[in-house]
Amino acid sequence: MSVNEGKSTLIGGSFRERLTGIRDLGAVGYCAAIAMVAAATLICNQARPYLSPVNMVMGYLLVVVLAALFLGRRPAMLSALLGVLAFDFFFVPPRFSFSVEEKEYLMTFFALFTVGLVISSLVAKARERLDALRVSERQTTSLYHLSRDLAAATDNAALVKAAVDNIQQSLGGEVAVLLAREGELELAAGSDGFAPEPDRLKVARWALHSRRMAGAGTDAHAGDPLTYVPLKALLETHGVLVLRLDEDDILHPEELHRLLNAYAAQIAMALERLRLLQQAQETRLLKERENLERALLNSISHDLRTPLTAITGALSAVLEEGDKLNSGSRAELLETAREEAARLNRFVGNLLDMTRLEAGVLQLKKEPCDVQDLIGTALATVEPRLAGVAVSVRLAPELPLVSLDFVLMLQVLVNLLDNALKHAAAGGELEIAADVAGERLVLGVADRGAGVPEADLPRIFEKFYRTPVPEVVGGTGLGLSICRGIVEAHGGAIRAENREGKGLRIVVEVPLGVAAEGRVDEG
Amino acid sequence: MVSRQKGESMKGEEAKSNLPRVLVIDDEVAIQRFLKTALDTGDYSVHLADTAHAGLAAAVAVRPDVILLDLGLPDLDGIEVIRRVREWSQVPIIVISVREREAEKVQALDSGADDYLTKPFGIGELLARIKVALRRSLQQAPEPVFQSGELRVDLPHRRVSVRGEEVQLTPTEYELLRMLVTHAGKVLTHSQILRQIWGVAYLEQPHVLRVNISNLRRKIESDASRPRYILTEAGVGYRLRSE
Repeated sequence: MSVNEGKSTLIGGSFRERLTGIRDLGAVGYCAAIAMVAAATLICNQARPYLSPVNMVMGYLLVVVLAALFLGRRPAMLSALLGVLAFDFFFVPPRFSFSVEEKEYLMTFFALFTVGLVISSLVAKARERLDALRVSERQTTSLYHLSRDLAAATDNAALVKAAVDNIQQSLGGEVAVLLAREGELELAAGSDGFAPEPDRLKVARWALHSRRMAGAGTDAHAGDPLTYVPLKALLETHGVLVLRLDEDDILHPEELHRLLNAYAAQIAMALERLRLLQQAQETRLLKERENLERALLNSISHDLRTPLTAITGALSAVLEEGDKLNSGSRAELLETAREEAARLNRFVGNLLDMTRLEAGVLQLKKEPCDVQDLIGTALATVEPRLAGVAVSVRLAPELPLVSLDFVLMLQVLVNLLDNALKHAAAGGELEIAADVAGERLVLGVADRGAGVPEADLPRIFEKFYRTPVPEVVGGTGLGLSICRGIVEAHGGAIRAENREGKGLRIVVEVPLGVAAEGRVDEG
Repeated sequence: MVSRQKGESMKGEEAKSNLPRVLVIDDEVAIQRFLKTALDTGDYSVHLADTAHAGLAAAVAVRPDVILLDLGLPDLDGIEVIRRVREWSQVPIIVISVREREAEKVQALDSGADDYLTKPFGIGELLARIKVALRRSLQQAPEPVFQSGELRVDLPHRRVSVRGEEVQLTPTEYELLRMLVTHAGKVLTHSQILRQIWGVAYLEQPHVLRVNISNLRRKIESDASRPRYILTEAGVGYRLRSE
């Protein structure tokens, strides 16, 4: 094609070939040109009785055109020269001699040769333009694939792997990406175990810090067998793309540089995008955390102060205004103080549970538990708050002992009952049910309250979620999230559903565990 | 460090010597104040100690009939205090602990404490515990016939009835109920029950206890899902309601 047509093309294969799909023909091209001229000569020889020599010139011109089309510029020029010589030698009288009788033929020779040269040059130019188009199309495709794969990557490792794979496929040779981390370059990915030797890192570092290409095929450190391309983004240089390229490719520096810089820019942009994404995510997490902390502080301040206010108020009223109060009011004030103190105690318990859950120090002490006992103990705990609420308990027959942490699961049930009690107006009804489904215990606590908007159902186990109900109901927004923490620690799941008609049911499922050796009905 | 409550009349001096002596070992001033006020109503003579060492000294000097011991003392582990008292005295010890410390409660009970109170507690609960502890301390033999609500256990005749109807129990269930009755009102830990009814070999087999309690409840409770007699102390053991 252009500069290196004379070189042997049988070894390797440069990226240009891979890009155009056309191999250099070299010596084969010249031989083909010679053969085509010979063929034209043979045909003209056969046609000699019917053709005047001048018309044979057309045959040779055809050869030049074909050679220019299929063999390239130089074989075409050769065919033009050989065509003139063959025409002169074989057909221009005297035949089989290069001497010319009629000087007119000199004009024919000149025209044939000139036309041949012009045609070959034009055709070859057109072809080269086509080649260049193909090259740029292939490059565009390869860059497109690269950018598509880079866009799909969700972390640095996947990103550099996609980069290495793509470039290796397009360019061949060996490819590696070094990423800068705290001022040091670290190998992030390499094709087929390719890793630049440690002593090459000096040049790589140079490329990183000077933000310029280095190594083979460049102006800097040109003696190095590898080529180093900095991954330059807007803000910083993220690393270095390292390639071991074919010698052929290095001979087309401009094209190569353009392509490599395009690759590097794509990779750098993708890296930058990921970094910004991570930063955005971190910022979001930080913000969520801040919100949570604010909610926690609000909750603590509200839930501690409310009962304290009630207690302080009630006690000071009795102490300071005791004489003016009748015994009924005094008793009521004191009762309020006691109830609020109990509420305070529950809140502190919830806070402690939450802290233990979050600190991850919760250790399950599993033992075989009687589910009926669990329910009974939970009911006994909430007994003082059950006033006016009917409770029905339905147990599946032959419930096995279930391997649970009794104290923690008791806390779950108590929280669920407390929650249900808040929503069951006095005179309402609570339903507790225990069943076995497969290898799981299914516990349900249902009330006949207002339920929860369908869209909010999954959110009620989130910390500090409070149902949009009147303030009377109160609650810390911690109880259900503690339930979820404990249930999940048991390898179980908790969910909420609105009941048909009215009310909310919360369902806890936990594995039966290995404790089922003794049926309750035995012994 | 150890202070005898003042304010008793001279006339009460004689009566006071007959009053049961309660030793409170707790370093919290607020709790001391509350216990002192609540107990010093003429039924008990209250003695206070604010460290473990002062408490141990007072236990020797005062010879209390019952000790209220906070497990979180500054100078010595509460469990160690129980062990040291148990080296020479069987005086009932009621420990005071918080909900989150079930393991600590069990350890205290298995080390010789008689009962526990979970902070915060009401005066009714406290007085009930002290009463049960004193009954044992004053060597009052258990009544041969135990009656609580509609449950009646006739120990000499090994007869159990609910609402006047006799209940058939298996020998193990009866032994279990008898143990609860003889310690009525006092908490019994899982391991204490397992050890006495089934023997040491069963200490690691808690399910036999669960199953038998469950069956016993089904026979004597009117609603086994809301037991009135055999109460579960979560993470600790069981207690038979004493009245």
